[in-house]
Amino acid sequence: MTATLCLTLFAPLAGALILALGGRALPRAASGLLACLAVGASLAGAILSWAQLKDGQELAVHLFNWFEAGGLRVSATLLYNPLCAAMTTMVAFVSLIIHVHSLYFMRDDDGWVRYFCYLNLFVFFMQSIAMADDLVFLFMGWEGVGFCSFSLIGFWYAEPKNVLAGNKAFLVTRIGDVAFLGALAVLFSATGDLSIQHLSGNAPVMAAGTLTLVGLLLLVAATGKSAQLPLLVWLPDAMAGPSPVSALIHAATMVTAGVYLLIRTFPVLLHADAVALQAVAVVGALTAFVAACSALVQHDIKRVLAWSTISQVGYMFLGVGAGDPSGSFFHLLVHAFFKSLLFMVAGIIIQALDEEHDIFRMGARVRGLVPGAALAFFCGAAALAGLPPFAGYFSKGRILENALNMAQTGQGVWIFVWAAGTLTALLTAVYSFRVFLLAFTGRPAQPPETGTEKTPAAMLHVLWPLALLAVTAGLMDLPAHFAHLVGVPAQWLDHMTGLVPAAPHGAEWTGTVAEGLDAGLAVLGLVVALALYGPWREHRAPAPDRGVARFLLNGWGLDALYMNGVARPYVRAASRVWQNVEDRLVDAAALGLGSLALRAGGRLSKWGIERLSNYLLWLLLGMVAMLVVMAAIGIR
Amino acid sequence: MIVPLEHVLLFAAALFFIGLVTVVSRRNLIMILLGVEVMLNAAGVVFVAAALRWWDIAGQGMVLFIMGVAAAEIAVGLTLVFRVWRRTRSLNPDSLKTLKD
Repeated sequence: MTATLCLTLFAPLAGALILALGGRALPRAASGLLACLAVGASLAGAILSWAQLKDGQELAVHLFNWFEAGGLRVSATLLYNPLCAAMTTMVAFVSLIIHVHSLYFMRDDDGWVRYFCYLNLFVFFMQSIAMADDLVFLFMGWEGVGFCSFSLIGFWYAEPKNVLAGNKAFLVTRIGDVAFLGALAVLFSATGDLSIQHLSGNAPVMAAGTLTLVGLLLLVAATGKSAQLPLLVWLPDAMAGPSPVSALIHAATMVTAGVYLLIRTFPVLLHADAVALQAVAVVGALTAFVAACSALVQHDIKRVLAWSTISQVGYMFLGVGAGDPSGSFFHLLVHAFFKSLLFMVAGIIIQALDEEHDIFRMGARVRGLVPGAALAFFCGAAALAGLPPFAGYFSKGRILENALNMAQTGQGVWIFVWAAGTLTALLTAVYSFRVFLLAFTGRPAQPPETGTEKTPAAMLHVLWPLALLAVTAGLMDLPAHFAHLVGVPAQWLDHMTGLVPAAPHGAEWTGTVAEGLDAGLAVLGLVVALALYGPWREHRAPAPDRGVARFLLNGWGLDALYMNGVARPYVRAASRVWQNVEDRLVDAAALGLGSLALRAGGRLSKWGIERLSNYLLWLLLGMVAMLVVMAAIGIR
Repeated sequence: MIVPLEHVLLFAAALFFIGLVTVVSRRNLIMILLGVEVMLNAAGVVFVAAALRWWDIAGQGMVLFIMGVAAAEIAVGLTLVFRVWRRTRSLNPDSLKTLKD
């Protein structure tokens, strides 16, 4: 078991190291294949480990001691349980497909070795997050994925815009990381131990106040990494990176790391005061709604997907907050499949149209250029919209059902959460089909400005497993009445992960209502999108973005708010400090001391080297002084 | 020992002080060298007195050393003084200030 777990974790690291140290010496094809092999080994390790894991078993695997300081003992310890098994397998599987896709996508790129090196390194750090037991070890992975994300967003560093987007992502996520460190500090001072396993075991007997504080700090940490309110501004800009990177890091894995952390440490939230879970749910519901509104009006196909990722991760937060980590994890897996698919198909189209991002300039011609892309994109978009029977219908339905159950408690906050989530479901369906219809059907509303380029067909074909999963991944966790129809075990994922939902079981009717509502909203969204953007839509330029549309396009003005409210005042304060403290205090003090020494030296030199007889006099005086001192203190 | 040690020490101190004042106050290199000689001999007197007081021959031996050192010193010193005279045509030590310029 330890061997296969090590293979899962360290194969990508080995690949990254080989590529970093000797990748340039290898032929191009060999280095690409090596990266794919490393991730393939990771996938094999994940599957083999899972096969050896018994139901409901939880293993702590100690690899080595890392460091020890002030009573804190940090070791590379893995906590392997069914949840972790599913996560590592998903990460390795999606990463493998994205690596193979990248072989085609990056075929002409100069940064080939650098690209695959970072990609492999990312998989290593992501697997550390998925498997770590020690929270400090997990934090290493947490920072590592942040670094890889930064490097890959700014991958095409020749354009300053891309580098700035990378910087922004790095800086904004650091805010959440400070909260993570805060949570570690609180936990360590309370228990002296930072193992997730111990934490889960001790949570029932710990003080609720401590747990609430830790839970809220972890929530802030997760909002940074998962691009939730108020720290969501970095993700839309992160689309500056190559599309497979967006698929891997900013859709399937890294942005869901925050959710995974909350699921992994769910006992903390469960035994904390109710406010902790409510905060998670409210953050999730608000983000889902805010981001869905912004996704409605975007022109850039990747920005639509970025906002929809934020919105969908918001659903996952909502699921955790409603006390059902298993349902949230279900959505995490399903989302990873369909969203990475969407990003990569978008990347193919963008490449085929020679870097055209604007959906209003795409239209039906795309279908001729990339045969099959429309079908693949539709699978993803329908899953995103939650159209039955695509996978997203079941996973999102599950979350909304939980929200409805909680809303029945009659508390205003839960009613708000449910209402926001349900409204978002409609918006999601509208923007999903909007982007599909605009990008793949009808004549482009605006004349195309770019040429076209032939893309390798294999680039699309490697995505079919993801498309298949986008359609069928719902089978993992079907409710009983659907499971009977197709003959698969009901709630398989719930039983497998063994995560106990804390949400109250609602009445019979809530499930039916939630399912009906969800399906109805998805269909309604499809109808609305067809009416507004159907293939027969009028051939005219989109209305200029004014007023509300402009506000939504710019992400509710959050960027401007942070720029004017935080960044600019900070820069101003920094320049004040620079001028007043640095120039007028620190520098002035140093310079003043220097000139003082110079002047004193000048004075001294005047009566120092003038006359030999002065030397003798000083010699005498010095000797007298010494003798006086010696006489005064005595010699023993 | 007929003369008390204290008297000899006082005498030696006076001698040393005379040499010191000579060294500091005179503006003639030869007089400065003379002052140094007087100070050395003051130290020698203390050694002789101590040898007599404690009946230890080492003190008298040390005086012989001092005489040797004084002879060597005066030889080197006079040579230097002669060089200074040749160079500056003066025996004033304050005329030696080329290092400053």
